[in-house]
Amino acid sequence: MRFWHRRADDIDEEIATHIAMDIEARVGRGESPEEARRAAMREFGNTLLVRETARGMWAGEWLERVMQDGRYAWRQLMRSPGFSLVVIGTLAIGLGATAAMFTVVNRVLLETLPYREPNRLVLIHADGRRGEVWSAPWLDVQMWRQQARSFEEIAVSRNDFAATFLEGQSATQRVDRMWVSANMFRVLGVTPAMGHGFNIPAGDPITGDPGDVAVLSDAVWRDSFGADRSIVGRAVTISGKSFTVVGVTPRGIVFPARSQQPQVWTALKIGPEDSSRENTVPIYNTLARLKDGVSLEAATAEMKTIQPGVAKQYKDAFASSMVSSIILKRYGATLVDKDVQRSLLALLGASALLWLISCVNVTGLMLARGTARQREIAVRGALGASRIRIVQQLMTEGMMLSLCAAALGLLLAVGLLQMFSHGLVTQLHVQGIVPDWRVIATLLALTFLSAVMAAMWPAISSARASIEPALRQGGAQVGYSRSRQRVQMTLVVTQISLSLVLLVGCGLLLRTIYSLRHAPLGFRTDNIIVGSMVAPLYRYEDRDIIATLYKPLLERVKAAPGIDAATLMSDVPLGVNFRLMFSFAPEGNSAEAIRHRDMTAQARIVGPEAQQVFGFHMLRGRFFNDKDTAGSPGAIVVNRAFVDQYYQSGDPDKAIGQRLLNFTKDRPGTVVGVLDDTRQVSVAQQSLPEIEVSLAQITPGARFYVPATRGRMSLAVRSALPTSVIVPRIKELMRAASPELENTTFTSMTQIVEDTYGNQQIVARLLVCFGGSALLLCLSGLYGLLSQVVTQRTREIGVRVALGARRGQVIWLVLRQAGRMIVVGTVTGVALSWFASRLVESFLYGVRPHDVLTMGGVAVLLVGSGLAAGAVPALRAASIDPVEALRAE
Amino acid sequence: MAKKSEYRNRIELVQGTLDMLILKTLQWGPQHGYGIVQALHTQSGEVLQVETGSLYPALHRLERQGWVRSEWKKTDSNQRARFYQITAAGKKQLASDHDRWQQMVEAIAAIMQTTPGGE
Repeated sequence: MRFWHRRADDIDEEIATHIAMDIEARVGRGESPEEARRAAMREFGNTLLVRETARGMWAGEWLERVMQDGRYAWRQLMRSPGFSLVVIGTLAIGLGATAAMFTVVNRVLLETLPYREPNRLVLIHADGRRGEVWSAPWLDVQMWRQQARSFEEIAVSRNDFAATFLEGQSATQRVDRMWVSANMFRVLGVTPAMGHGFNIPAGDPITGDPGDVAVLSDAVWRDSFGADRSIVGRAVTISGKSFTVVGVTPRGIVFPARSQQPQVWTALKIGPEDSSRENTVPIYNTLARLKDGVSLEAATAEMKTIQPGVAKQYKDAFASSMVSSIILKRYGATLVDKDVQRSLLALLGASALLWLISCVNVTGLMLARGTARQREIAVRGALGASRIRIVQQLMTEGMMLSLCAAALGLLLAVGLLQMFSHGLVTQLHVQGIVPDWRVIATLLALTFLSAVMAAMWPAISSARASIEPALRQGGAQVGYSRSRQRVQMTLVVTQISLSLVLLVGCGLLLRTIYSLRHAPLGFRTDNIIVGSMVAPLYRYEDRDIIATLYKPLLERVKAAPGIDAATLMSDVPLGVNFRLMFSFAPEGNSAEAIRHRDMTAQARIVGPEAQQVFGFHMLRGRFFNDKDTAGSPGAIVVNRAFVDQYYQSGDPDKAIGQRLLNFTKDRPGTVVGVLDDTRQVSVAQQSLPEIEVSLAQITPGARFYVPATRGRMSLAVRSALPTSVIVPRIKELMRAASPELENTTFTSMTQIVEDTYGNQQIVARLLVCFGGSALLLCLSGLYGLLSQVVTQRTREIGVRVALGARRGQVIWLVLRQAGRMIVVGTVTGVALSWFASRLVESFLYGVRPHDVLTMGGVAVLLVGSGLAAGAVPALRAASIDPVEALRAE
Repeated sequence: MAKKSEYRNRIELVQGTLDMLILKTLQWGPQHGYGIVQALHTQSGEVLQVETGSLYPALHRLERQGWVRSEWKKTDSNQRARFYQITAAGKKQLASDHDRWQQMVEAIAAIMQTTPGGE
């Protein structure tokens, strides 16, 4: 900077020299010194302008000018802190909301996976009669591997549904374990941070024997082994079996992507059990890396030619029809739920709308201020500032305000994310989310855009105003131009209509939440506590875990003081722990058996006490009771949706006594009761067909035993005691039964119900925030403009009052103007909402997107509050004292 | 508005010629700003009066282009002033400017001397 100051001094001196020489010459010609000085100055002209243009010849001078503008702008802002704060606050609301939403979108939708060229990673899914099949038996995968030419390499993985426990240095930790083929990390393109990773067997990388080896995630290495570098090569115990550690992944790299649990990977082996396509063989998820340059479409086309050959290998025609076609999906695209994506984009849109409103609001404020500053600007123009220069100056002011707003907005965004962290974790599975560089860059771009939008127009219109009248007249009436006021009115109308759009969205979501809260669930939710247990199944491989662990625990819980009822269940209604789908195995080829094959149903294994806890309503027959034991005939309970869907008669009476499935080969099960419908998956989703069996009848070897005991079981307890008393009591009992159960998580049934509409909840809450802010902004815009108008028309109103206008007439004068803006804004807003509400259609429940009541209600709210905002300046106008008003001019 | 009519009495410089005139003046030796104004005034037969508002920006522009160089020196009357001196690049520029100017003058003259109707 100093350099430029020196240059400025230089030019000053040069100019001074020039004038001095001129004076000297003139005096030499005989003019008096005084005369000579004046003539020389006149001859030279505007020294400042010369200096500025001369300096302008030098590059880098613009920087100087920006600094100068910045300093000037800062002084301007400090001179009217109230105005500055209002502008900064307004913009900060818009910028903050947008930054917060973009942070989430960035994290959930835009983040790239931490693998090498993640775009080339694809999942291969068979597709058929019942839709997409996510996993396939080994023989199918092997055919894909042998025939497809589109892939560099194919790897497989298998989920360990049973809970896995890792024996660490000091304690046993629950981890997520995935069986992966030895080449999985090669396909992902991940190199371990420590160790060599899986040894890829000579010969075939998947069918070769990799040995009993494991790779630990960075999180497990730190948590369970205290980041001990000597871990590689040592043996660790995972669910009772010993594995040699061959690697630790780099920090933050997990597979499946975005898994939140600590993870370990063990090498899977293809064994003799993989040599058929029976229903009982292990199934694998297939991840493939496309060859460089091969498109997804080309690979899909190739696989489509291969798949019919694979399907032909299935002896059973029905089984074959389930895998008749194939789908390839980019791995990244499968990670985001469509619902989540929609709600995030809707919220991002809403926040952008709020940002737009705040910009429009600030434009109005800047215009009003431009009017007030017209004299200052005129003076600057008279002193030689060019129009461009004035626009530049005003833009700098706008930029500075905008930057302050961005800083404040960033804080607001962090606060907003904090406020909604529960929803973010349960709905989007993102934790500890903070704005990163990409968000900051976007925020800066928005900031710049805000400055341009908010300051450009006022700046240009200020600069265009002619200098002379502004300087000549002065006083408050200056700048009361009709066209500028029309612009301001348009701005207010815009704000009103945009706010209305946000408020309609908000109203629709609130009505949805209301409907969801009042939807009939089909069971009671009050006073129920649910503990989801994760048991170490591997320690019960030779014993009946139900009889030795769960049953005794249940008896002890039931006997504890303050417990009204307690039951075991594979999962509670609306639970998210694990969903058991039941489909009928092919049993014979009778017409009945063939019809059965198309049936799928939710399956639930419940204790007979479930009815006492949840108060299920029986439509026909009975629920399970104590007489249903391991020795008695198999009993099945189905729900009404099951009867409606799978019995042509739809008559529940006919369903009773029907044989549905066999518990074991020689033990058939018959339907003993029909439940009234309940919500099983989410409140908004109608009942699905469901079958229930009694826990007491599930013994090792029986159907359902394996899925029922994969290590997860819920304990539902009805008790009038407060949670803080009951939970520790149950926990104590669990710890006594098995130390691993100590980590059981407890939730209330009401919370579980609410979490199922968490998506709507979070959208609704954020929209309430955005809509409320928008309403406040548009009301303040309306109020501000009317106040300005009243101030400008003080004299006119004074004259009117002096000529006999009544108070009511004056109030009407102002309110009429307010009313016009409100009506126009509301009408356009309703029209806009008509289109915009389609965007939230997918979240709605119990209310249509074009709900007249909601739109009407919101319109009434806006008109009412708008008139209230207008009433304040109107009353002020009415109280104008004509004598004062006329004298003041 | 009054200013404008006053200006009309003077011959305004054809755009782009000021640089050439300054360079030409400096060919006779280093000169300061006031000196350049005076030189142009007298050499033009007291017709041209260069505006300081154009002169100084032009000088600085030329310096930035590297066509002139400046330094502070004492004048004959022992006053400190910034003297401008033409550089080698400036001389080249002057030559090419002069050529172009010559061509333009001839072209304009040819047009102006054509009498209507007379081929």
